Amino acid sequence: MTTATAPTNVVPTREWVRTWAPYLVLVGGVIVLQWSFGSGGVFPARGDSVLESPIDDAGAWLRSNRLSHPVFTSFFTPISSFVSAVISGIGNLLLWLPWFVVVAIAFLIPARVRMWRAGTVAAGALLYTGLIGLWDETMRTLALMSAAVLLAVVIGLPLGMWAALRPRVELAMRPVLDAMQTIPAFVYFLPLFMVFGIGNVPAAVATVIYSLPPVVRLTTLGIKRVSPQAVEASKMYGATTPQTLFKVQLPMAVPTIITGLSQTIMMALGIVVLATLVGAEGLGSPVLQSLNQRRTGRGIAAGLAIVAVAMVLDRVWRSFAVRDPSQRVTRRAGLLTIAGLLGGVVIGRALGSVEFPTVWDWSLFDPIDDAVVWARDNLRWLTRPFSDFIVVRLYLPARDFLTETLAWPVVVFVAGWGCWRVKGPALATFTVGAMLTIGLIGMWELSIDTLVQVIIATILAVIVAVPLGIWVGRNRRMEAVVGPMLDALQTIPSLVYIIPAVILFTVGVVPGIIATVLYAMVPGVRITALGIREVPEESVEASRTFGATPRQTLLGVRIPLAAPTIMAGVNQVIMLALAMVIISGLVGGGALGFETVRALKRSLFGWGFEVGLALVLIAMILDRFTEAVAQRMQPPSATA
Amino acid sequence: MWKVFGPRTDAAIELSLAGNSRAFVLDATGCTIGVKDVSLGVHPGETFVVMGLSGSGKSTLVRCIARLTELTRGQILLDGLDLTAMDERALREVRRKKLSMVFQHFGLFPHRKVIDNAAYGLEVQGVNKTLRHQRAMEVLEVVGLEGYENHYPQQLSGGMQQRVGLARALTVDPEVLFFDEPFSALDPLIRRDMQDELIRLQRAMQRTIVFITHDFAEAIKLGDRIAIMKDGEFDQVGTAAELISAPATEYVKEFTKDIPKVKVLTASAVMRRGGDVDGSRCVSFDDSVETLLPLLLEDPQPLTVLDAGHKPIGSIDRAVVSELLRSDR
Repeated sequence: MTTATAPTNVVPTREWVRTWAPYLVLVGGVIVLQWSFGSGGVFPARGDSVLESPIDDAGAWLRSNRLSHPVFTSFFTPISSFVSAVISGIGNLLLWLPWFVVVAIAFLIPARVRMWRAGTVAAGALLYTGLIGLWDETMRTLALMSAAVLLAVVIGLPLGMWAALRPRVELAMRPVLDAMQTIPAFVYFLPLFMVFGIGNVPAAVATVIYSLPPVVRLTTLGIKRVSPQAVEASKMYGATTPQTLFKVQLPMAVPTIITGLSQTIMMALGIVVLATLVGAEGLGSPVLQSLNQRRTGRGIAAGLAIVAVAMVLDRVWRSFAVRDPSQRVTRRAGLLTIAGLLGGVVIGRALGSVEFPTVWDWSLFDPIDDAVVWARDNLRWLTRPFSDFIVVRLYLPARDFLTETLAWPVVVFVAGWGCWRVKGPALATFTVGAMLTIGLIGMWELSIDTLVQVIIATILAVIVAVPLGIWVGRNRRMEAVVGPMLDALQTIPSLVYIIPAVILFTVGVVPGIIATVLYAMVPGVRITALGIREVPEESVEASRTFGATPRQTLLGVRIPLAAPTIMAGVNQVIMLALAMVIISGLVGGGALGFETVRALKRSLFGWGFEVGLALVLIAMILDRFTEAVAQRMQPPSATA
Repeated sequence: MWKVFGPRTDAAIELSLAGNSRAFVLDATGCTIGVKDVSLGVHPGETFVVMGLSGSGKSTLVRCIARLTELTRGQILLDGLDLTAMDERALREVRRKKLSMVFQHFGLFPHRKVIDNAAYGLEVQGVNKTLRHQRAMEVLEVVGLEGYENHYPQQLSGGMQQRVGLARALTVDPEVLFFDEPFSALDPLIRRDMQDELIRLQRAMQRTIVFITHDFAEAIKLGDRIAIMKDGEFDQVGTAAELISAPATEYVKEFTKDIPKVKVLTASAVMRRGGDVDGSRCVSFDDSVETLLPLLLEDPQPLTVLDAGHKPIGSIDRAVVSELLRSDR
């Protein structure tokens, strides 16, 4: 870096140079680039067709060869038919059983280890779905998710074990898992759709891909966390490596692995609605329908049914983590119960009472629709200016500034500069490379559009979430109230948020941003609260003994110490915001999200691929950048 | 044997052999010397205690002997078999049949009942359930855990957990037992109980024991022979009496200073050899000096010390004892 251009008559000391040189480089670079590239700032999309046409060809080829080519007949088709058979097998079985037997089973699996409350919750959740008339869809979704979770476990457990035993494997796997988790689920659909066609299979495979990382990660973590002495003890008694693994490490890792499964289920849940877009059966379609018909109540009702499915799966899985045999009910009680269930099946089938009797129906939720419509009609004075403010004052100026006022090299340069400052040359190189790629494949404008929406939503979410999180973190009573609300908000499928937003703000960028703020806020609040609560009590007390006011303690001790954690929360906010902004493409958010959906619906493979690539790159840049910022905020740790 | 941690072990050993300190070697090569040219032999049935402070290399030493850590240089021989040369499979066989270990933090398996913890060694050998449970029950009774076999380890107190660790080690009927600071994590009173328990067991079973501790009092209580370890080397190896009556270095002396000699030293260690043998009042060679005090207070006449074959080998009078008591102060 040269500082020769520094216009100054003071002799610059080394200190001075070191402090100010980077900023001079920034300002100088911006001026030079902006001046030389001027305002005709359209990114020359030289590589536009490099990707698009071959992939379109590949797509066409796939479509015409799906039934005949050996790659399909001997590889993909067997996988596809196997997965499909598992899903429809489970689904058909669940629908063949009389409904009350299914509810009873949901109760009994947790109850057999005396988890009465969990059993009640699981059974209640299923009853709810029946009562609102979504029994069939629920069973289909249950089948899809069970199959996906099962597959994730079957694949993830051995991978996790492998990574735990071989550090090099873990090292190699980590970036892949990272990528799998950062890439918005939406992006998976297109290639899977190309290979597996429409239906349950691409949905299940996407769910598996998306939910695999937590299983692998927590299996590895669980095994590595087993006390080394226990492992050595096992070795010392002459156990072979597999003996140690299966008798000591794996059983001791079970609680952690189950946590991984719970997370897996939560992740899988988010995909159910989206899966409808590639033709999966189940609860996704009522949600999408309600969106199309603008019926908030029904959307919420169906969304809650999805949450119910997640609760059932979660409670049932968790009951397998209970290992204390004394908790188990007696064998006789078990046999009697099974006999009872079989009797129930016979009677139910004989009487023909298999289907859930419709007790309530959707109309139960009509008041919610009415309320939202009322709000739309009567709160215009509030929503209109708000909406205008976001579009006219924030969104449009920001987008135009980045795409029109500034020449694209300036944007790339500033981003690279920021990454260099925060982390170093590696991240800067990656970011610049990724941005150039985005530009070259012709995604520059759409990406900036998406990015602006993500940034606006993130800023708004952080403005709300961080103070709220600080408040919650310092106030136990608040936590008791807000905690469960946050849990609920986080489990509701993201699309459900959009419905009321669309009704209140009509189609466009704003409802997407509003829904994104609401959805992405949740982890921000939760992690901020966690960070504040985790500040060591001694530090707070030390501050107090020096006579600091509560305000001084908060600003001088609590917030700085919690800052890295809060930043991790911001990272999550951004990732969720990105995922949600894509989804809001469905309601007129435009940009990359809309293009993804369009590509999916029209089978524009090459185009969809480029859009997907741009999304992946954006996700990776945002993730790495915020992570680096969080790292910088970490107080220097003691060196070993 | 040698154990060096780091990238350039050969260079580190050369430097160390040339007489450089551990700190110098670490600076020069980036290697930490854990065990520095230690040689030892443990007799069958003997309790050999390695005593040292943290960082002295004592844990590394026992882990090397058990091959939980690989030696950098040297050999471990067990009944003439070279453990260091064994492949994974042969080593496993030896561990199954001949070795056992008790760990500082117990190293129990929290997901297994007490009885399944105790039976673990037999389980990995493929012994059937009835047989191994039967054997485990016997051992649990010996260590005083009958009635707790169906508990889980975390339901027991620390002392009882270490009894489980002990039972697990004994179930496989090992020839050699390693104890890596087994009682350090326990309360003083429980620790004393466990020490007494181990002495009782060892009297009955006569195993070869290598016992690691940082507690000098524990070392002299349990050890037939004691090695004082410092900076990866043995400062002195000997019986408790030898260490106390003739500490080889200042470092060893530091430890022995606070130990009341009359309690630890035996008659044979302090007696005048030969000399006038009266023969009217006799004591055994392994009586502690403390027990002789009342006798000498009653009557100033010297006591005759007899060896294991009841032959007189020396005598003790008031002068000897008062010398000893003075040095204790």
